[in-house]
Amino acid sequence: MVERVPSPDELCQWREEFEAAARRPLRIRMKYAFVKTYKPVLDDAPYRSFDTMADYRDWCQKNLPDWLGYGRTV
Amino acid sequence: MAGRFDYAQAEEIKVAFARFDVRYLFIGKSGAVLLGYPDTTQDADLFVEKSAENGQGCVGALRALGFELSEATEEEIRRGKDFVQLKNGPFDLDLVFAPDGIESFAVAWKNRVDTEGFPVCHPDDIIRSKEAAGRAKDIESLPRLRAFRDYWKAQR
Repeated sequence: MVERVPSPDELCQWREEFEAAARRPLRIRMKYAFVKTYKPVLDDAPYRSFDTMADYRDWCQKNLPDWLGYGRTV
Repeated sequence: MAGRFDYAQAEEIKVAFARFDVRYLFIGKSGAVLLGYPDTTQDADLFVEKSAENGQGCVGALRALGFELSEATEEEIRRGKDFVQLKNGPFDLDLVFAPDGIESFAVAWKNRVDTEGFPVCHPDDIIRSKEAAGRAKDIESLPRLRAFRDYWKAQR
């Protein structure tokens, strides 16, 4: 996957979004930012740990559905 | 499944981790949100300094927050496994002891940003960790996150 380059219009729109967010108090920003949806496999165990980040990335690559976006691109 | 993370729970982390003298930083998109980045995310991610003393404090803080920790889990946190994912408490929490792309906790701590008392990784470090992780969802979000970093720096 190649990282895309934003268009000038996108950059303008993002800047407007950043300015709007800056006008909101942190409590409200967090209310809008944190969401909860079920993530298959990832949410199916109460606890996981990995000795190394590489182990964790490998586990994600092998066990999670691609559409969750946890797979490596490089 | 725990409910969504909220401001009050972030405050509880701040209080509990301070009570147990835990050195940590918010990292990832949750850290960026604390800095003002408008986007959605699901979990809180904490970069915790890897040391036996800090790990012990972290265990105490997590218990105080209501996480159910077995003896084996406590030992893993004390030892500082690179990545610990907790979904057995009042909210989902990822503990990262060695995030990709960041040289050391000391460097990240030196670069940290304090926002309303929350210790947060500098946006450059958040971006570096996402670049190094190289996940599809990170690659998608990086252009906007970099634009936010530039905006954030210009406001300071």
